[in-house]
Amino acid sequence: MPRYAMAIDLSLCVGCAACAVACKMENEVPPGAFNLWIRERELGTFPDLTVEFRPEQCLHCENPPCVPVCPTGASYQTPEGLVLVDPKKCIACGACVAACPYDARYLHPGGYVSKCTFCAHRLAQGKVPACVETCPTLCRTFGDLDDPNSPVSQALRQANRVDVLRPEMHTRPKLFYLNAPSKKGLSKESEVRHD
Amino acid sequence: MTEFYGLPNAQEFWHWANALHFVLVGLAGGMAFLAALLHLKASEDARRYTLFALGLIALDLFVLWAESPARFRFTHVWLFLSFHPGSPIGWGAWSLALAFASALLLYLGKGPRRFLAWVLLLLSLVVLAYPGMALAVNANRPLWNALLAGLFPVTALTLALGLATLLQSPWAPYPFRLVAGLSLFLAFLYPLTLSPEAQAHFLEEGGVLYGLLLLVGLGAFARGNLAPWAGFLAASGLRALWVLVGQWQGLGL
Ligand code: SF4
Ligand code: SF4
Repeated sequence: MPRYAMAIDLSLCVGCAACAVACKMENEVPPGAFNLWIRERELGTFPDLTVEFRPEQCLHCENPPCVPVCPTGASYQTPEGLVLVDPKKCIACGACVAACPYDARYLHPGGYVSKCTFCAHRLAQGKVPACVETCPTLCRTFGDLDDPNSPVSQALRQANRVDVLRPEMHTRPKLFYLNAPSKKGLSKESEVRHD
Repeated sequence: MTEFYGLPNAQEFWHWANALHFVLVGLAGGMAFLAALLHLKASEDARRYTLFALGLIALDLFVLWAESPARFRFTHVWLFLSFHPGSPIGWGAWSLALAFASALLLYLGKGPRRFLAWVLLLLSLVVLAYPGMALAVNANRPLWNALLAGLFPVTALTLALGLATLLQSPWAPYPFRLVAGLSLFLAFLYPLTLSPEAQAHFLEEGGVLYGLLLLVGLGAFARGNLAPWAGFLAASGLRALWVLVGQWQGLGL
């Protein structure tokens, strides 16, 4: 059984949002909602300036807080480690939206909650997610964490540093950010405000 | 500077109608609790309060369904075809439904009365507890801290006993003032239990209203008919405010 994960090398990401647009197309994400978006932050002061381009989406947490709070079982984790929503069971109560520390979830106009699926429908066909396929800088890798030869495992091994969002939430994200541009790691709103 | 292509899905997810439910479910749970106690004490008021509890539970369940964007997809049956112990809302669905059933049996005079009253009492405690838990369970929301798990039950009892006082039940005013006092005390402490960052956000977003509601709540200790109204208003307002203002992720992203 694979354990799917994604890695994004921030030293290569230019924040072009090709992934975000590919996702919109592939998954027909409704207007006003996003499975995937780019956060761009300027950090530091001249001459020590950095820009962090950071695509964000569901991290398919290994310990996803969105799953246990779901009263119907609509939010579930697959054996491959995908966190998915079964719209047939979702009552749109928003408990999972409340619990997600990453703003990954939204209410679909169809009356259920939705989010990034790691393109489960493509994985089933043996393809990589649409965002990975479209990335022009090849900064995105995807694959099985348990397979040392998978693109994601190799990228993780070769990275100078690996970060995850809000590690203090103990969600164990399976979306890894490689080679964050700032020496302090991934940027935080709290730090930007104090700058 | 932070900019986006697209946007994180950080919009409000629980709107005014959900806030209304948080008030109603407090009343419903509180009324069920009072009804159960009155049955256990074999009070003459028991039947009347059981009817109120039934009405309020039904009203709340209706509001819950009516405000849900999934209402006409009829997915709510899944609430009762599964049980997820990690989900406060799951506990809420079951406890409200079973509280309704046991209150109905009590009202109709069917079944063992004392046993049913105990069942209703326990279920009403779950109803009283779950809304605060539904907020506090979200470790990622800095404003929804553990204190809310206490504040929601006591404000719920303030609502129910406020209503009972308005209904001229002679036993109500004293416990009403007691829970209103406890609610206000805890509500006063609440901002002090937040991290500096969260406190600043809370005061900026809802501070004035919060202060006003605490002041109104003090009216619960005035003499006369205004007291239950004041407590009622303050408890409702605070519950709604915690729900609405607390939908904040903090500055960790
Ligand atoms: S990122 Fe959010 S929605 Fe995705 S698995 Fe983690 S908690 Fe759930
Ligand atoms: S909104 Fe849907 S998926 Fe999310 S917790 Fe509620 S029922 Fe589960």
